[in-house]
Amino acid sequence: MSLHYLKEAVANNETDKLIRYVRLHLGDGNETAGRNEIDKAWIEALKALLDVPTTDRAFVFKTLSEQDTATLAHLFFHLHFYFVQRSGKWIHDGQL
Amino acid sequence: MTDNYNDMPQLRPGLWDTINERYPGVMITKDDFIPLAQLKKPLSEARLTFVSSAGVQPKRTMPFDVVHPVGDYSFRRVFSGSKVNDLEIHQIKYPTNGASRDLNVIFPIERLQELAAEGVIGGLTPNFFSFIGYQMDPPTFESTLAEDIASAVVGDGADAALLCPA
Repeated sequence: MSLHYLKEAVANNETDKLIRYVRLHLGDGNETAGRNEIDKAWIEALKALLDVPTTDRAFVFKTLSEQDTATLAHLFFHLHFYFVQRSGKWIHDGQL
Repeated sequence: MTDNYNDMPQLRPGLWDTINERYPGVMITKDDFIPLAQLKKPLSEARLTFVSSAGVQPKRTMPFDVVHPVGDYSFRRVFSGSKVNDLEIHQIKYPTNGASRDLNVIFPIERLQELAAEGVIGGLTPNFFSFIGYQMDPPTFESTLAEDIASAVVGDGADAALLCPA
């Protein structure tokens, strides 16, 4: 999907096209795989918090308050791949 | 080497059969015609450069942005005298398992060094040029990355360029 196609979808509030694109990106062209990848990342993030370890909330708040939305969105994609990699179930052909 | 690569299964069979359905608008057509430049000297006297979309880059440089949903429009200079062990791949959209074992299958730097040393080609530019092929905005790709690489190629004094999609 070209950028033009995606921006048009945003303008028309066609969220189904947008989330489909995200799934295709995360699933290397396979929408079902992308959906599973999203689930996989969230499960891994949840598992990391189940023992309620101490986390650096000051860092989190500082990052959220000081960084621009685009950087945070970029971080969001990085975090997805981080947790997918951490799961040990890597479906992608190459490497980060 | 005893492995038979012909026996390796295609990792994602049929993937490209539905590319237009899955990624509307990403496949572009061009109405304008740009003729290939004519080589002005024999290959044995020409300085060759290499341009690749394989995502190969020198180790310890900023990895290509393979997570970005719209793509990475930057490129890396790869010193043409590099050793294979000086280089690495950051790319998740094509199978890199073979290239991880021998980078030359996707980025034939040692073969080109050999051809230059043997005089088959006149020489190599100081740098080769590498980027990743996952780009969702063809106009930006054309106006930034392609232009940037073209300028860098000219700046390196190339007489000819070997273009290799991953």
